Amino acid sequence: MSTTANDPAAPKKGGLSDLRKVFGGGQSSLRQFGILGSLIVIILIFQIWTGGLTLSPTNLINVVNQYSYILILAIGMVMVIIMGHIDLSVGSVAAFTGIIVAKSMADWNLPWPWAILLGIAVGAAIGAWQGFWVAFIGVPAFIVTLAGMLIFRGGNQFIGQSTTTPVPQEFGIIGAGYLPELAVPLNFNVLTMILGVIGAGWIVWNEIRARRVQKKMGSEMAPVWVSIVKVVVLAGVILWAAWLFATGRPGTSFPISGIILVALVILYSFITNNTIFGRHIYAVGGNRIAATLSGVKDRRVDFFVMMNMSVLAAVAGMIYVARATASGPQDGNGWELDAIAAVFIGGAAVSGGIGTVIGSVIGGLVMAFLNNGLQLIGADADVVQIIKGLVLLFAVGVDVWSKSQGRPSILGIWGSRRKSRLEAQAPDEAPTVVPSSQSNLSSQPEDVTRR
Amino acid sequence: MKLTTEPHALLEMRSITKEFPGVKALSDVSITVRPAEIHAICGENGAGKSTLMKVLSGVYPTGTFTGEIWFRGQRVEFRDIRSSEQAGIAIIHQELALIPELSITENIFLGNEINHGGRIDWVAQKARALDLLARVGLDEDPDTQIKHLGVGKQQLVEIAKALVKEVKLLILDEPTAALNEDDSQHLLDLIRGLKGKGIASIMISHKLNEIEAVADQITIIRDGRAIETLDVHAGGVDEDRIIRGMVGRSLESRYPERTPSIGDVFFEVKDWTIQHPQVPERLVVKGSSFNVRRGEIVGIAGLMGAGRTELAMSIFGRSYGNYLSGTIVKDGQEIVLKDVESAIDHGLAYVSEDRKQLGLNLLDTIKRSIVAAKLTKIAKGGVIDDSQEFGIAEDYRKLLRIKTPSVDAGVSKLSGGNQQKVVLAKWMFTDPDLLILDEPTRGIDVGAKYEIYLIIQALAAQGKGVILISSELPELLGMADRIYTVFEGQITDNIPAHEANPEALMRSMTSAKKKANA
Amino acid sequence: MKKITLAATALAAVAALALSGCSGGERGGDAGGASDAAGFAADSTIGVALPDKTSENWVLAGGLFEDGLEEAGFKGDVQYAPASNTVAEQQNQISAMVTNGAKVIVIGAKDGKQLGTQLQQAADAGVKIIAYDRLIENTENVDYYVAFDNFKVGQLQGQALLEGLEARSGHAAPWNIELFSGSPDDANSAVFFDGAMEVLQPKIDDGTLVVASGQTDIAQTATQGWEAENAQSRMDSILTSTYSSSDIDGVLSPNDNLARAIITSAKQAGKDISKITVTGQDSEVESVKSIMAGEQYSTINKDTTLLVEQTIKMIQQLQKGEEADVNDTEQYDNGVKVVPAYLLDPVIVTKENAAEAYANNPNLLEIVTAAQ
Repeated sequence: MSTTANDPAAPKKGGLSDLRKVFGGGQSSLRQFGILGSLIVIILIFQIWTGGLTLSPTNLINVVNQYSYILILAIGMVMVIIMGHIDLSVGSVAAFTGIIVAKSMADWNLPWPWAILLGIAVGAAIGAWQGFWVAFIGVPAFIVTLAGMLIFRGGNQFIGQSTTTPVPQEFGIIGAGYLPELAVPLNFNVLTMILGVIGAGWIVWNEIRARRVQKKMGSEMAPVWVSIVKVVVLAGVILWAAWLFATGRPGTSFPISGIILVALVILYSFITNNTIFGRHIYAVGGNRIAATLSGVKDRRVDFFVMMNMSVLAAVAGMIYVARATASGPQDGNGWELDAIAAVFIGGAAVSGGIGTVIGSVIGGLVMAFLNNGLQLIGADADVVQIIKGLVLLFAVGVDVWSKSQGRPSILGIWGSRRKSRLEAQAPDEAPTVVPSSQSNLSSQPEDVTRR
Repeated sequence: MKLTTEPHALLEMRSITKEFPGVKALSDVSITVRPAEIHAICGENGAGKSTLMKVLSGVYPTGTFTGEIWFRGQRVEFRDIRSSEQAGIAIIHQELALIPELSITENIFLGNEINHGGRIDWVAQKARALDLLARVGLDEDPDTQIKHLGVGKQQLVEIAKALVKEVKLLILDEPTAALNEDDSQHLLDLIRGLKGKGIASIMISHKLNEIEAVADQITIIRDGRAIETLDVHAGGVDEDRIIRGMVGRSLESRYPERTPSIGDVFFEVKDWTIQHPQVPERLVVKGSSFNVRRGEIVGIAGLMGAGRTELAMSIFGRSYGNYLSGTIVKDGQEIVLKDVESAIDHGLAYVSEDRKQLGLNLLDTIKRSIVAAKLTKIAKGGVIDDSQEFGIAEDYRKLLRIKTPSVDAGVSKLSGGNQQKVVLAKWMFTDPDLLILDEPTRGIDVGAKYEIYLIIQALAAQGKGVILISSELPELLGMADRIYTVFEGQITDNIPAHEANPEALMRSMTSAKKKANA
Repeated sequence: MKKITLAATALAAVAALALSGCSGGERGGDAGGASDAAGFAADSTIGVALPDKTSENWVLAGGLFEDGLEEAGFKGDVQYAPASNTVAEQQNQISAMVTNGAKVIVIGAKDGKQLGTQLQQAADAGVKIIAYDRLIENTENVDYYVAFDNFKVGQLQGQALLEGLEARSGHAAPWNIELFSGSPDDANSAVFFDGAMEVLQPKIDDGTLVVASGQTDIAQTATQGWEAENAQSRMDSILTSTYSSSDIDGVLSPNDNLARAIITSAKQAGKDISKITVTGQDSEVESVKSIMAGEQYSTINKDTTLLVEQTIKMIQQLQKGEEADVNDTEQYDNGVKVVPAYLLDPVIVTKENAAEAYANNPNLLEIVTAAQ
């Protein structure tokens, strides 16, 4: 047992590891890195298969419009799943909120901005109701939200009398609206490009700031060229995407629903990574008892996570209604399953504690581009469902399998070389047993009894 | 170490060695059990008794340990519990392995159903069950659900279940730990009765008087080694003799030198009484009072189930049981700790005995674990300052010599000793006045233990109070300035460490004769 | 030095990507949109979006569209909406068809009120929309509607019910009947129901017909999602609550699928189905068998072949740059505009006229002749 105060294997920063940190650090980042790879592969396959349609401006805009509400649900769902819960009611909550918002505008002539606030309030109230049962009564979330699924589906059909209620044109902006065209003689949507430039600028600034911090703390920095390549590639992708969105059919651009989505992704990534509340979500999800023994009020976290999910479901429901120009009795059917699938493809663990917002969004995009690509090549809806089911099974199955083989995810295979290098430098003390599958029966050598 | 087969042996375990990552749990242990013999195994908590029994019963399958097992004259290799049962060895665990919602009959035959082509023959099963219940002396309707039986009766059902399998050797792991006097007596009689019918038993127990009463042979295990085997019938074996065998090891140089500088009493618990969370009539902690001085390391000694952990956790923000009565005084003022958060705010820290289940989120990184108990310290307006977090984690990594390539690594990748350092760092970060350390060196190898001891002493030297709960008496004697003993939820003694010896402690830990003068 | 080269290469690569994206831009000029009269290429893609695969008629229509469009020289892209998240997925399918460059999209809408955004998109790309069988509402971007005259379907169902009561019940008026209507999100449901009620209401008013359950409002009679199980459970409860001691003589059912569910329910309740008149619609194989066996009383033959033929004929006219034929420019107001429609006449079918009605449908004809 040797202990040198200054470990030679100091953390190496920058380069690939930083790219991985885009997904939130943690141990699951490798997996998400792999998922990003599969997303790129899927896009490229369909780009070739559809003769370039997949990455055409119109289609990209379609994908964003079509899936933003599912991705918004995935943002909330990953937090629920990290806590070890599940929310089956999101589709019904979305539909219920949708019909109330639609009725409020159609029957009570509520102006649409107020209707949106009303919708969020309804979501918060439903969330508080469900959170109350989960957190303070202790009914499993599965049951509470299964009940919610029935209650709010019924509520939707009761209020809407099972018919479709149209919403005013102006409301459509949040689901089918675009950034306005500026009166400048340029052959692209200027606002979209401005957003793209801001995004690219943020990447550059962030890298510079990170290097400065590393320098200050004296940790080893990646070579300058690694940073440059990283920044150039990431910023390039953002600018390129912005350009595609800006050059679609006149009148179209990056959709408003997409902007709402991006804003929520940034907000919730920040919350989950950088705030006390976010930390508590991971702490309770990873080990509830250990978290409570560290002073975390687990029930409060349960409550707010469930409540937040319903608020996001309300947002998703309103965006969908805006896009569909009406609230119908079928709205939200099966959304919970799409959102849950996105979260698990994005690297979350069924047992809780693991998952990231960005990973879930990428998982959702995998499903979205798969669905979209298959529809573009004219595959039948039944085939599409079969393929989506298989992808979900394989994505999670491969991960579980490779974990049980003691390897990192096969999808994240190119990250694995780095990892093995790290392990070569790892401590001379033998690492302890893996946390999950093996029980303490085999990991504790003493006469341990739990009381 | 003998390599010849003893002609009349029922069981021989030869040179069993079992290693866990970082820890040698059993080292070259050999024992011999003759037919129709009651063979007791004694040792401190963590000595390796249960590990040895798990090796024997196939919980740890062949290949995960070295050494040989000979049973009824044949070399045996068990792949799992089932194969050891087929050979005629049944283990009855400390925690009962019965299914509460099923009937006695169903439990007895679980996995062993009398059936014809998959259809259970209830008539035959019930008849057989009645017969077995008669053998173990349990007068109950075999259709009774297990949940309606008391612990003592459940124990008997366990044994009946073992008898179904035509056992030749019964392993009983602390069979009387949860039983009252009468039930214990009945069980011991039963074990003697089985002996008369040719069934041998291996019995693990902390209750030395029982062992003395029923055992034919006693093997003492210490630090993973079989120290000696005593023949009770040869005479000269009494409780003191057994205790000496169990604790007799030198303390030299395993504990760092230290000159304590002890201040005034700053933390006092008075008349602390706690109910069991599920069974209200059970008082897990009864009217306990104790105190801690600044810079003092106070040991708490007690056997498994004595209520040490329950006492600690109930003080730490009522995280165990139902509070009935008692007061806590800190720095001359009475404080009420309704939840963990308030306990932390009042400068208490509790390092759990179960690192993996209660102490750490194994999915998390080192850096995030270290700051987990006091996030407010590095956050502004709910937002955590990343670089501060990293810096703090780095500081603790260097200070406590946590061996890791990076504080961004997952805690699950660390060895037990380094995980424990992370837990200590986590609680040091909360800047506590009083640290309650519950088995802080459990499952940690010798070298790492030494480092943990250094940290504990350094904390005391800073003027913090430390409560050290340990099952290892030498550890308490080597580390503590003062030792309380706990028996059945009560504090039975309060001894300055320089006056204490293992035998005296063990006596106070196993009886309520003396009352603490705290 | 080497590193700088590498960085420069990466920069160049990204720039190249961006440029290729530029060439993919769609703002070269107003490519879509304006060109109404010109028609389009004879081998263009024609999209067909149908609501589900669970009804024989939609499956049949899909097959006929595939064959018919191919025969006419078009590239057919026929899609059914999946079972879950149906409305949204149909929206996506329509978007994909627009992206794929379809010139005409034929839509059998799952929910005709929730397609506004997609049809706007289609209109912007210059795609013509034909609403097939189900009207699309609340959008100006529907060019044509082709369907059987659904009001007439309702009228015929009402008449058939009256005839059947006379012939089957074995007693004179008053007769006990119950009313079922289709899914509330399908605009046709109300049309069928109104058509039928035009015939039945006077008879209810004069006491010839008695709706014993009292459920005569369309909201009360609705069958959510056209789901058979919903109709069956509603029938179960009506039979239990209202007809445990009295007899039911007739049921107005809006289609065959629901009719069979209603018949199953009545049978399970121990009613003599040969005395009960249940109407239907769609001429589904199972229902034709049921009619021939003397259970279901009537169905409506809306010859899908004719409807698909008419639709393809309209597509061909649009291809040539002509206006498509319509025979109704007043009746179908979708809330934003009156959609020009081509309506075909439905035919009522009972056991008596089945052979005649299915003369040009060999499948059904075989069933009919086999039964006779």
